[in-house]
Amino acid sequence: MADAPLLEVRSLVKQFGGRRVVDDVSFTLARGETLGLVGESGSGKSTTARCVLRMLEADGGSVLFDGEDVLALRREPLRRLRRRMQVVFQDPHGSLNRRSSVEQILTAPLAAHGLGDRAARAARVAELLELVGLGGGYAQRRPRELSGGQAQRVAIARALALEPEFVVLDEAVSALDVSVRAQVLNLLTQLQRELGLTYLFISHDLAIVRYMAHQVAVMRHGRVVEAQPRTRLFEQPRHEYTRSLMDAIPVADPDLEQARILAARE
Amino acid sequence: MAELPVPAVTARERLRRLPRPSLLAVSAGILLLLVVLVLAAPLVARYDPNEQDPAIAFAGSSWAHWFGTDDLGRDLFARVLYGGRLTLLIAGGAVVVAFLLGTAWGFLAALRRGIVDELLMRSADALMAIPQLLFALVCISAFGASTLNLALVIGVLLAPTTARMARTVALQEMNRDYYAAAVAYGARRRRLLLAELLPNTVSLLAVQAAINAASAMILEASLSFVGLGIQPPDASWGTLLKEGYQFLYQRWEYAIFPALAILLTIWMLNVVADQLGARSNRGRA
Repeated sequence: MADAPLLEVRSLVKQFGGRRVVDDVSFTLARGETLGLVGESGSGKSTTARCVLRMLEADGGSVLFDGEDVLALRREPLRRLRRRMQVVFQDPHGSLNRRSSVEQILTAPLAAHGLGDRAARAARVAELLELVGLGGGYAQRRPRELSGGQAQRVAIARALALEPEFVVLDEAVSALDVSVRAQVLNLLTQLQRELGLTYLFISHDLAIVRYMAHQVAVMRHGRVVEAQPRTRLFEQPRHEYTRSLMDAIPVADPDLEQARILAARE
Repeated sequence: MAELPVPAVTARERLRRLPRPSLLAVSAGILLLLVVLVLAAPLVARYDPNEQDPAIAFAGSSWAHWFGTDDLGRDLFARVLYGGRLTLLIAGGAVVVAFLLGTAWGFLAALRRGIVDELLMRSADALMAIPQLLFALVCISAFGASTLNLALVIGVLLAPTTARMARTVALQEMNRDYYAAAVAYGARRRRLLLAELLPNTVSLLAVQAAINAASAMILEASLSFVGLGIQPPDASWGTLLKEGYQFLYQRWEYAIFPALAILLTIWMLNVVADQLGARSNRGRA
């Protein structure tokens, strides 16, 4: 059973008004690994993830999560499955209810599934804040009293509240400052190691995907144009589009950068 | 060290530096004052509003009768104050009915989408297509013109606009990530409504409530004006206006004071709605 993939997506299709936003997308994701899903905005990455999470209804294909057919689940079984798959969004403040305290935000998932009593939930909040590197002092704060990085840590804590196995990170660090971004990325890899999490890491930035992902799938116009293990993808990109994405990664060495720009011109 | 000369502050300058109350505070304050005056009518008014004294009928305003007296010699100041009670009671009741009914209506449509949404919104359109006054006339003729009936009928009339507003703001909020996250962790519908949607839309719904209060007063006044509102000897501002209107050439105070009361209240409600709307837009940006 250990070898069976945690997530298996087959020929997923999603249309909006006759246009195929997700077009025959397939991939598998092994337990404890990270699949990087890259592509420019509008390429269908987020829509794919939302269909997998059943936040949108797919128009075709299948999604198997731990052998269970996600797309066929009815209300209550689907709600139970939601405990096992969670999501972190791009905009840290937009993803927190600004009328709630951090404590309320973190206990809401527990309450939704009837987990623990009042004391147990409070303890879990403290534990979660600790886990994402925030002290217990943050429990009574409101989202507007948090920085972007802190708010995103709270969003990550909320995603982890139900002890999921699978987390979708939908451009989860794209809105953060560079230094904060590095901290949050480190936190995410550390959490993956400690909790054995499986990530679907969505980003438009190949450099970050290179840092995070074990497997990489490149999407364009709703299709997966290339899917390879990370090292192979970065050494021998097969698709032209992947190469052009790679050329867009800035290089820290000015001489190299200059040479590359000149080479690209010829 | 030599003392620096302190520039003299003129009285006008001092006035300018005083903290300025916001428009919202002023208008809400005036409304509050009106409500308190009306509620405290037995303490403020020196006469029974329904006590007749033909000897002083049609008196002009005087120290004894600030707004004068009507054709039956009743004190108009007392009648306007007591009339405000009924007017505000009906308007308040109608606002509550419209809020409860309209919010549930609009939120349900937003949450269910699809065919339920269509049905709910088309029925709102249908209700809005009926002329308000006509609908109210029919209902009041059928069920009678009690305070409760008036509040219910006016509330029902205002519910569809409220429902539309509630649906729009709910859909806006449902597009936000915090709502998506709540769906993703498996929040039940009740929680989505009460803990996620309602707290984030209540400020916009309050704007609608203030507009509704103004509309309710106008409707009540219109119904009373055509004789289907509050029945004599009791009076609301609308019925007072109607009675006074008959004697407009003999004694203008009779009609003008209830009219001013209606005007001032609706004006202040509109300012409050406007300011609340501007404020919640700023909070969003």
